[in-house]
Amino acid sequence: MKGLVSLFIGLFGTFAFSWLGLTLIPNFQIGHLDPQADEEGTDIYPMPQSGMAERGRRVYVANGCFYCHSEQLRPDYIASDLDRKRDLDPHPKWGERRSAPRDYIFARPALLGKTRMGPDLANIGKAAPAEEESSAPATSGSPAASPAQAPSASLAPSAAAASPTPSASASPVAETEPGEPRPYSAAWHHRHLYSPRDVNRDSDMPAYRFLYEKRPVAGEHFADALQLTGSDAPAPGWEIVPSYDANCLVAYLMSLDQSHPLKEVKSGAPAPAAGGSPTASPAAAKGTK
Amino acid sequence: MDATEIPLKEPAVSVAAGDTEQVERALIDASTRVPVLMFYASAIAWLLIGTVLAGFVSFKLHAPDMFSNISFLTWGRVRPAHMNVMVYGWASMAGMGTAIWMMARLCRTTLRHPLLLVAGAWFWNIGVLLGVGGILAGDSTGYQWLEFPPYAAIVLFVAYVLIISWAVLMFRFRRGEQIYITQWYLLGAFLWFPWLYAAAQLMLFVVPVQGVLQSAVGWWYANNLLFLWFGAIGLGTAYYMIPKVIGRPVYSYHLATIGFWTYALFSSWTGMQRLVDGPFPAWMITASIAATILTIIPVATVGLNHHMTMQGYFPVMRYSPTLRFTVFGAMSYTAFSLVGVLISLRSVARYVNFTQASIAYSHMGLYAFFTMVMFGSMYYIVPRLVEREWRYATLIKLHFWASAYGIGLMTLMLLAGGYVQGGSMNDASLPFLESTQSVLPYLRGRSLSGLLLAASHFVFAFHFGLMLLGLGRTSTVPTFLNPVEAEGSEGHI
Repeated sequence: MKGLVSLFIGLFGTFAFSWLGLTLIPNFQIGHLDPQADEEGTDIYPMPQSGMAERGRRVYVANGCFYCHSEQLRPDYIASDLDRKRDLDPHPKWGERRSAPRDYIFARPALLGKTRMGPDLANIGKAAPAEEESSAPATSGSPAASPAQAPSASLAPSAAAASPTPSASASPVAETEPGEPRPYSAAWHHRHLYSPRDVNRDSDMPAYRFLYEKRPVAGEHFADALQLTGSDAPAPGWEIVPSYDANCLVAYLMSLDQSHPLKEVKSGAPAPAAGGSPTASPAAAKGTK
Repeated sequence: MDATEIPLKEPAVSVAAGDTEQVERALIDASTRVPVLMFYASAIAWLLIGTVLAGFVSFKLHAPDMFSNISFLTWGRVRPAHMNVMVYGWASMAGMGTAIWMMARLCRTTLRHPLLLVAGAWFWNIGVLLGVGGILAGDSTGYQWLEFPPYAAIVLFVAYVLIISWAVLMFRFRRGEQIYITQWYLLGAFLWFPWLYAAAQLMLFVVPVQGVLQSAVGWWYANNLLFLWFGAIGLGTAYYMIPKVIGRPVYSYHLATIGFWTYALFSSWTGMQRLVDGPFPAWMITASIAATILTIIPVATVGLNHHMTMQGYFPVMRYSPTLRFTVFGAMSYTAFSLVGVLISLRSVARYVNFTQASIAYSHMGLYAFFTMVMFGSMYYIVPRLVEREWRYATLIKLHFWASAYGIGLMTLMLLAGGYVQGGSMNDASLPFLESTQSVLPYLRGRSLSGLLLAASHFVFAFHFGLMLLGLGRTSTVPTFLNPVEAEGSEGHI
C-alpha cells in the first residue's frame, strides 16, 4: 500500500510541477502586461481593436488562416525574418523589430502560428499603401478611438468621410484607380482572397470565394465590387461583392501592425542584440516590468 | 520514489496456465467485451473519417483550388477537423479501449456495470461529433489541438469522467497487492488527462490568460497530451504486450522505474520548444529544450528494457501480428523522441521552425508510435473478445506493410521537405514564395504516403468488421503472419 501512495504522490507531483513551471509562473511573469505609453500618457501601444477587426479575427480563426500564416517575427540574430521583403512590394519589409509579448496583450486568441506556408502577417496592415493605412483605423469607428489614431485619421479626412459604409477601406482605391489595386491595400486583399492565383500565379493559398457574393449589377457598380480580370471576372451585368465577414477579415488584416517601437525591444537596429546569444534573449525577459 | 516499493508483477504469462486462471481470464474478457468493442468500433470509424479528411488536407495543399466555393471544405477547416478526429476520435478512443481491457486483466477483476462505460463511449462520440461539426461550421477556437468549441469540450469532459471513474473503480477492486508497470502508466494517463484538459480549458476559455500565454498554454497542452496521455498509454501497452506475447518477464523493473519517473518528470516539461524564438521569456523555451534533451534518459531506459526483453525473441515478430506492430511502435517511440530532440535544438530549430518538420514530428508521435502500438494491441485483444481468430493473415500483413511504409515515407517527406523549406525561408534574398514552392514536391510525396495509409486503414477496418460479425476463424491457435515452423518458436507465441 505504501507503494501505491507514493505512486499517486509522484504522479500528482510531477504534473503539478510542470503546470506550475510552464503556465503559472509565466503567467505571473508576463501575464499582466499593460500597454506602453510615453510620459504624457499618450502614444499608447497596443490598443484594443475595433469591433470589425475583432470579428475579422473570428473569421480568420474560423477558416484556419493561422495554420499557414504566422504573426510573429523572430529576432535578427536567429533568423532572417527582419531582412525579408514582401514579394510584391519590397517596401516596407516584414518588420523592423522582433515581436514581443506586449504586442499581443489584446489578442484573443493570440495567433502566433506554427507553420509558414504563406508569409508572416504580423505587419501586413503596415504594408498597405499610405492612404490605405490611414483609412484603416478610421473605418474602425472604435469607441476607444485613441489619441494615437486621431492624427492618422485626420490625415485622410476625405477618405473617411467619403465612405460611410463599414467597408470604407475598400473605397478609396475603387474611387481613384480603375486599374490594379496596389499590393496590400484593402481592395488588393479582397481580390487576393477571392482569387489568389490571379494576383500571384504560384500562390498556394486556397480561394475564399464563399466569403463573396455574386449578384447582378443594380444600376451602378457597387463601390466595393471586386476588380477582377481574366477568367475570374464575372459575366457582364454581374459583380462580385465582399460579404460582411470578408470586410471584417480585411479590416482585421489591415489592423495587424507591430511597427510601433517597444521600449523592451530593439527596433530596426542591425547590431546583434545581447551578444547574439539566443539564450540571453533580452526582449521578452524585460517585458516583465 | 523507491523502486523496490512497487512490487512488480509480470503479466500472467505462464504458458501452461492453470484452469482456474483460464476461466478467470475468460470471465474478465467477457465482462469487457461490449464496452471495449464499442470503443474500438468507434475508434476505427473515426479513423476512416479522419483518413478521408486527411486526403482532403494533403491534396488541397498542392491543389488549392479544390472546393474553394464551399466554406466547410476550405483547407483551414478540414485540417483541424482531421487533426481532432484523429486525436480525440481515433487515438483517444482506441487508447481508452485498450487501457480498460488491460486494466481489467491486470487488476484481475471483472468490469462492473459495463453499460455505463458504453454510455461514456456514446457521450465521447457525441462530443467528437459536435466538435468536428463545430469546426467545419466555423466555430474553431483557434488553439491548436484544442479547436473543439467549448460546448463539445464539456461533453467530452463529462464522457471522460464517466469512463475513467469505472477504470478507477476497477483499480479499487483489484485483487493482489502488486501493481505492474503498465498500471503505473495507465493510472498516470487517467489522472493527468483530465487535469491537463481542465487546466487548458480553464486557462484559455474560463479565465483566459493574456496574449502570448495562450499560445504557451496551448502548446503545453498539446505536448503533454502527446506525452502524458498518448505516450503513457502507448508505453504502458508496449510494456504489457511485448512480455505477454513472447512469454517472458520484463528485463528489469529498476530500469522500468527509472524510465517511468524520468518520463513523467521531463516529458511534462516539454512543449515550449515549439515556440522557439517566439515572443516569450527565453527561460521558458530553454527549459523545454532542456527537458526535451533530458527525455533521452527515459527513451534510453525504456528502449533498452524493451530491447533486452526481446533479446533472442526477435524472430517471433515473424509470426505475431501484435508483436510486430508493437515493436514497430516502440522503436518509433525512440525515433520520435530523437527527432524531437533534434528539432528542438536552437541551431536546428532556426531552420525547421515554421516548416512541415513539426508536422512530421506530430505524425511520428501519434502515428508511428502510438497508432502502431494500438493496432498491435487490437490484434491481441479483439480475438479474445469475440472468441474468433483473425481471418486472413494476408490482410494483417498488408495492413502492417502499408502502414509501416506509409508512415515511413510520410515522415521522410515531411522532414526533408521541412528542411528544404526552412533553407529557402531563411534566405531573405529569395522571394518567400520560393520556400512554399520548394516544399511542394515533398507534399506530393506525402499525399502518396497518405494513399498507402488510407489503404492500410480500410483493410484493417474491413478485417475488424469481419471479426465483429463473427466471421473470424474458430480455432484455438492464433492467426500467425507466417506458417510457424515445426520446432521452437511455437511455445512463445
